[in-house]
Amino acid sequence: MKKEDILKDLKELLSEDQINVDYEDLYQASADRYKKYAKAKRALDVPMPVAIVYPRSAEEVAKVLRYCNEKGINVIPRSGNTATEGGLENWKELTIVIDAKYLNKIIKIDEYNMQATVQAGVVLQDLEDELRKRGYTTGHSPQSKPIAKYGGLVATRSIGQFSTLYGGIEDMVVGLECVFPDGHIARIKNVPRRAAGPDIRHIVIGNEGTLCYITEVTVKIYKYFPENNRFYGYLIKDMETGIRILREIIVNGYRPSVTRVYSEEDAAQHFSHFHRGKCVLILMAEGDKPIVEATCKGIEEAVEKYKDGIIERVDDKLIENWFNHLCWTQKDIDDEIQCMIDSDRHAGFTTEISADWETLPKIYYNVIERIKKEFPRANDLTLLGGHVSHCYINGANIYFVYNYDINCAPEDELRVYHHPIHKIIVEETLKLGGSMCHHHGIGKYRTEWIREEHDSAYYMLEKLKKAFDPNGIMNYGAIYPQEESIRKYIYRS
Amino acid sequence: MHIVCLVKFVPNVENFAYDYKTNTLIRENVRLVINPDDACAVAAALKLKEKNPQISIEVVSMAPLNVIPAMEDLLRRKIDKATLISDKLYAGSDTYVTSMIIARYLKNTRFDCIFSGTHSIDGDTAHVPAQIAEMLNISHINHIVDIDMDFFNEKRAIVEVDFEKKTCQFEIKLPAILSFQKVSKYKLPYIKYEDMYLNMRDKIAIATNEDLGFDESEVGLKGSRTQVIRTAVKEFAKKEKVIVGTDDGGIETVYRYLKLKGFV
Repeated sequence: MKKEDILKDLKELLSEDQINVDYEDLYQASADRYKKYAKAKRALDVPMPVAIVYPRSAEEVAKVLRYCNEKGINVIPRSGNTATEGGLENWKELTIVIDAKYLNKIIKIDEYNMQATVQAGVVLQDLEDELRKRGYTTGHSPQSKPIAKYGGLVATRSIGQFSTLYGGIEDMVVGLECVFPDGHIARIKNVPRRAAGPDIRHIVIGNEGTLCYITEVTVKIYKYFPENNRFYGYLIKDMETGIRILREIIVNGYRPSVTRVYSEEDAAQHFSHFHRGKCVLILMAEGDKPIVEATCKGIEEAVEKYKDGIIERVDDKLIENWFNHLCWTQKDIDDEIQCMIDSDRHAGFTTEISADWETLPKIYYNVIERIKKEFPRANDLTLLGGHVSHCYINGANIYFVYNYDINCAPEDELRVYHHPIHKIIVEETLKLGGSMCHHHGIGKYRTEWIREEHDSAYYMLEKLKKAFDPNGIMNYGAIYPQEESIRKYIYRS
Repeated sequence: MHIVCLVKFVPNVENFAYDYKTNTLIRENVRLVINPDDACAVAAALKLKEKNPQISIEVVSMAPLNVIPAMEDLLRRKIDKATLISDKLYAGSDTYVTSMIIARYLKNTRFDCIFSGTHSIDGDTAHVPAQIAEMLNISHINHIVDIDMDFFNEKRAIVEVDFEKKTCQFEIKLPAILSFQKVSKYKLPYIKYEDMYLNMRDKIAIATNEDLGFDESEVGLKGSRTQVIRTAVKEFAKKEKVIVGTDDGGIETVYRYLKLKGFV
């Protein structure tokens, strides 16, 4: 099928203002932040999509999907465009990007039942601002909050900085509407809980556009008490001390909204004004006053228990100020792109994993040691460290952070630097029984290990694809590994 | 034709984090990188080699042995040979002694022309190339921003030199030392993927004091005629960040700023 024929057909389905074939927009839609450096340097090696389309309703999404399903055209669902793992990268010559730009209405804020319904293209910050006016919050605060949209947040199983209190997006979604490749529109109703068979929300949450297109989401909302926020910061002896303190707080039943431990190297880039070359532990308690007071007591008791590992307490104001500037805006992204264009460097990459409390420090130290020892370009590393930032009763995540001087061509950067480091982190995590992916999604760059991640349960994931997307038109290469394309677009062989 | 490029490895001050509270640079974990002016000199030499494959390039550096990985990366960019002048006796040498050591190595080396940077970003004295030229009794020109690729041969070079208010063109007889500036258009090429892991250790020669034969009293701190009494961290003025829109007010602010700085 020719691109011209697809464009002609699209014009039958949608109006002209809903079809974008602008060269620059298509170039930008070819890849996400995984290939950010090659993209900024105009050295992308992936095909451009044929068009970006902007449906105005679930019915229009259904029309486009049905058409693509019949013609075998790849579809990349998009809303927000802040993906970091190749989930929005295009690996097919004939691809249509369905963008939720016009699905941008806040449908209902239901204060009595504590839930809000939004279309997939609503920016998280917009809903948050609307809720704050009424004394509520979404409780969801990923760094991409000013740009990320609900469709993408749900499709990638996103998480926010206050997750230890509010949970991940999967804990917030009440119900949703989505469209399958055959055009079927499914609505999962909004109820507090039910035992009516398996929880089918979880087929959609985290599907990364490989099974269906999310058009509408209903999420829980929470009362907001910013005046009660309390911050704690400490310089500590090592990562292990910090992890022990976090565990102590969580297993005793306390839920600070923020629970973070930074390695020396990562602390240096975040807390240059006070880190003094040490690891940093930071916490935040929020909620109604008695809850905050109880949480603070829990934090102070845990710190007291492990006081031998505490070097000193940091001024609360420094921590509060840091929190207030944590999210990145479109301007921050634009500045980073300009920096990549002007020089041969970028702001670095991250790989996030999760494991139980016992395994977490082992993974951390194994990864750091292996990268230093085995990564052939270790001399180019300018940063290697990590932090723990989301805690659960049985464990937490680690966010590995790394940056390097780039000595190769932009198109080779991933296979020379990012991917080999990424690979060591994933391998070490899987070897010790952790999960290779805490909250960024699989995208296209962790599919190599998806079978190992799920082991015998991968059977279920495979069946879902066969059942809902039998023609394989949904986001080719994401979650489900495509060997030939992995060789071509990851290893360039 | 053989070009020798003099290269210094310096702390990567461009990547220093900046502490806005104390107005100081954070110097922890600073790595050594090729001095930016010197990188331009090597890049210019590589451009000439690209045009004339008969040209061979040797990189010469006086540094500790831990710069070997960075030297290997230069070789992976199609430099033919590298020499590392390294000896514990040389630690603490001032610019005069450093020039003397490098000049002695060069006296026994074949070259048609020597390329270098003008300034280094750590010391910033610009002494070394000029002193080496004096010791070798050859000409020297610095602040070069461009070299005429078509008129470069064993006998002469035509270069553009940046003076603060104008750019002048000079023709210089070779052998000479040509010192480049970072603002020149030359940029080190990327290493090709297939060359990324080539073992280049064999192409790096190490010249020690056994080869150069200085007396202990002539080099290092003992031999240096200048001594550092104290060092001071450069004070940075408080940086003010102003964000303006693309409206009339924003344009006016930018215009007034450029006028103040003498650009318009």
